[in-house]
Amino acid sequence: MTHLLELRNISMKFNDTVLFAGFDLDLEINETVGITGPSGSGKSTILRIVVNLLTPTTGTVLFKGVSITEYEPRELRRKMILVPQEASMFPGTVRDNLQWGLSIHKLHASEGKLESALEEVNLNCDCLDDIAGNLSGGEKQRVALARALLLEPEVLLLDEPTSALDEKSTLMVESAIGSIIAERKIGVLIVTHNPAQAKRFTDRLVKITGEQEGK
Amino acid sequence: MQAEFDLIAYLSGLVTDEVIAAFNSYLAALVLLAMLIIISKWQGLGIGSKLVVGTIRGTAQIILMALILTQIFEFDNIVLILAVLAVMSLFAAYTARQNLDEIPGVFATALPGILVGGLSVMTIAWLLGVVELSGEMMIPMGGMVIGNAMNISALVIDRMWSNAQKQRGMLESALALGATAYQATELTIREAIRTGLLPNLNRYAALGIVTIPGFMSGLIVGGASPIYAALYQVIIFIMIFLACVIDALIVSRRFLKHMFNENLQILVPFPNK
Repeated sequence: MTHLLELRNISMKFNDTVLFAGFDLDLEINETVGITGPSGSGKSTILRIVVNLLTPTTGTVLFKGVSITEYEPRELRRKMILVPQEASMFPGTVRDNLQWGLSIHKLHASEGKLESALEEVNLNCDCLDDIAGNLSGGEKQRVALARALLLEPEVLLLDEPTSALDEKSTLMVESAIGSIIAERKIGVLIVTHNPAQAKRFTDRLVKITGEQEGK
Repeated sequence: MQAEFDLIAYLSGLVTDEVIAAFNSYLAALVLLAMLIIISKWQGLGIGSKLVVGTIRGTAQIILMALILTQIFEFDNIVLILAVLAVMSLFAAYTARQNLDEIPGVFATALPGILVGGLSVMTIAWLLGVVELSGEMMIPMGGMVIGNAMNISALVIDRMWSNAQKQRGMLESALALGATAYQATELTIREAIRTGLLPNLNRYAALGIVTIPGFMSGLIVGGASPIYAALYQVIIFIMIFLACVIDALIVSRRFLKHMFNENLQILVPFPNK
């Protein structure tokens, strides 16, 4: 059976130190899987391996049954989008940020589509013309989510989406992620150091050791 | 024996009263260098050894060049002049590498930029009749163009490398959305080019009021008309700007292969704390 995403026997070594070894994971369409583990265990590294931003020491990553190394990196990263832990805003307005992701693929979205993308992440702020760098941490995280969703990915990879946020912002971002999972027919992989948070969204949790738990 | 005799006579002929006076001034100026080194050490600027080596090397280089220039200034052959400018470009790329020794690929990246930027501008200027075909004009002007191209090469490379370290999150965000290496670094490149041109733009804006450029002063001291000297100074600025922009565009694109591999993964290491 071909899975949407398969990680097989992934290991990563930095300077002779084994970060993790023998990591396996499957992800299906309409499934949300959480990756948990202590700080420094390599959770974020796994997401970077999935989008070929890092090459694992051993192991294979298959997207729709084909090794990710067979995909042209840009094509792969349009189908599977990583939203990093700290949502970096590019210079300019929120509109510029949303359009930037599209423009690098020679795409364009109407004003209505940009507003819909912001609504989807519960950012009803009428802030398309605001300077993105001036937004709060939670707002930036949701702009980063909207920027990724406009490219209509098949897999969304979320790296500690609320780790740098206060309680109020965390609830807003969690709500946005909940909407995405409910409405989009995609696979979602969430890295979090907070198992309680992961359980709220995920169908399954995978510990970085490879041990799996049902919900 | 005859050749040896001529060489000694030539060298003896160089030591005039004027040269002895200049040498005394040079020795006195070393006090200023010592002050600079003390300040550098005190403030932890880390440029002391570079200044000492640079002074020794620079003195030898420029004396040698001054002696050679008297011969080269007689050249009126474009191939010979371009060959001299190419050697200057080689040395400029080597110098850029020496000052950025922690960054890979500096020489191989900077050389094509300096060569193409410097030589193309000098050739176009000659073809347009802006600069007359003489070593006396083309080599000093080419030196200034190449020197500025060297500076902007080093600045663009340094800025691209350090931004990839300091703003790694933004770089990774761009790549994660499917950006090419160029798209991911485009803003840094533009900023580096603007920053690299800024000192010359300032000098350009204050031309004749705050800054009295050496090239113009040299022409006037050499007996040229002040208006002729002034117009050539403006010409040299325009040539410098064009060479710098051509150089920066080439260098910034060529340097990408030292920052990213074929899988668009970042090769720049995290900074050493």
